[in-house]
Amino acid sequence: MTMFQYDFIQHAFIAGTLIALMCGVMGVFIIARSLSFIAHTISHIGFAGAAFAAFAGIDPLIGLLAFTLLGAAGVGQMGVRMFRRDASVSVILSLSLGLGIFFLSIGNIQGNYSRTLLFGSVVGIDMADIWQIVAITFFVLLVLAAGYRWLKFDSFDQVGAQAAGLPIRMISIGFLLLMAVATSVTVQIVGALLVFALMTVPAAAARLYTQSIAGMIVLSSLIAVLSVWFGLVAGYYTSAPVSFFIVAFDAACYFLGTVYHRLSDRRQIAA
Amino acid sequence: MLHKIQIDKLEVNFHGEEILKDLSFSVPAGQMFAIIGPNGAGKSTLLKSILGLVRPQHGSVSIAGDPKKTVIGYVPQSRIIDEETPINAKDFVSLGLISRMVPWLSRQEKKGLKEIMRFTDTERLAKKPIGKLSGGERQRVFLAQALVRRPDLLLLDESTANLDPDAQVRMMALVKKAVKEWGVTVLFISHDLRLVRDYADQVLIIARGFYKTGATETILDDAALLKQVFELPAEDAGSGRDPLNASEMPLSASSS
Repeated sequence: MTMFQYDFIQHAFIAGTLIALMCGVMGVFIIARSLSFIAHTISHIGFAGAAFAAFAGIDPLIGLLAFTLLGAAGVGQMGVRMFRRDASVSVILSLSLGLGIFFLSIGNIQGNYSRTLLFGSVVGIDMADIWQIVAITFFVLLVLAAGYRWLKFDSFDQVGAQAAGLPIRMISIGFLLLMAVATSVTVQIVGALLVFALMTVPAAAARLYTQSIAGMIVLSSLIAVLSVWFGLVAGYYTSAPVSFFIVAFDAACYFLGTVYHRLSDRRQIAA
Repeated sequence: MLHKIQIDKLEVNFHGEEILKDLSFSVPAGQMFAIIGPNGAGKSTLLKSILGLVRPQHGSVSIAGDPKKTVIGYVPQSRIIDEETPINAKDFVSLGLISRMVPWLSRQEKKGLKEIMRFTDTERLAKKPIGKLSGGERQRVFLAQALVRRPDLLLLDESTANLDPDAQVRMMALVKKAVKEWGVTVLFISHDLRLVRDYADQVLIIARGFYKTGATETILDDAALLKQVFELPAEDAGSGRDPLNASEMPLSASSS
């Protein structure tokens, strides 16, 4: 009997693959724009949103989207630069975590749900969830494809993009909002604490192996998808948390990448 | 003569401080136009006003032709490029191709990209990470990115400042070639008066509250003017030395 005879495993593979693809692509731009910690903060804002939704008795995705979009718009409005260097990130991150715990507490929400929000759950993904994930992933990838050239220019050469007359503020806010949407759907599967990992580690690893933007996007997506598949298989056979295996796979790719990068650097110097 | 840029009574203030005041001049199409002056004279602000990145308090910047179709290329003195930046030179140049929305490059765009990289002698650097290139190679890649959209107007903000003399000449020769072959109009800021003498058709000399335009020789041979603007002792201004670049080296033309 294979693991794929179970509906929940099939669903987990479909949902996980789509989310990994989306995070893999988004990650390349998150890393290029130095937004790793802002991504981490938005996932925590998402945790507060999901906790609020549970407290208010509404669909978690609505709570997640409402909070993360507001948070992303706030960050965009105040200026990403300030958030990159300021303590504001830690203040908002801590406040979001506190708010989440507060909503869970006053809503008398069970501990299991809190764990799911923080660490994710691949059990219990139904077809309605999958369609939701398909729609959001398709939307995010479509927007990324349509804005690819502008986003790429602004992410890798802001001076040039600004001089070429691109609306860099609009691009910045637009990308943050897209990140919020992607985070909202990802939190439900991998949890608030691990969204950050899936959105940044595959991309950080990919840039160690390749020097082209398209190559980074392909490799980052591939690493993210393989890590999710590895996590699901390993989790199924060992009963250990899937998220652990996902992060372990991504981290292994990253550390192997640093070794590869150093070796290829040495080879180039020797040549 | 057809003018590419017309600056009319331009006034720019920053935090209440007057940077440019009542500045008017025009740049003929298809020429190389140098902007010289001491630090803080407002040279970069002027380029930013032309790019539309700085809004003037008064006056106007007019560029001939349809503003929606006018393409401006810009090469700054330097960009903050992390050595570990993984993006290769070819990708960096292709960033400038923004006229289409689809993620992939068309056959024509690929051809144009190849031509520009050949033109700027950056073809062999195509696969090298931008962070690992030398200063001169990097500036040529930046120039290639600025040229890849075939600009009508090219603005160079001290883009040769950090280069050794050979790399400076190589870069400026490429710019001159772009002017000759494509009729690009070039505005360049430089502190190196030798380069200005060798490459500029006309010069704008600018200091706080003062400016003058004229043919290159007229401006650079006016020792009293250089003395006034750069606040140099008369003997230095008239000596033909580069007044800003630690120069014991004589200016190529005036030293003869």
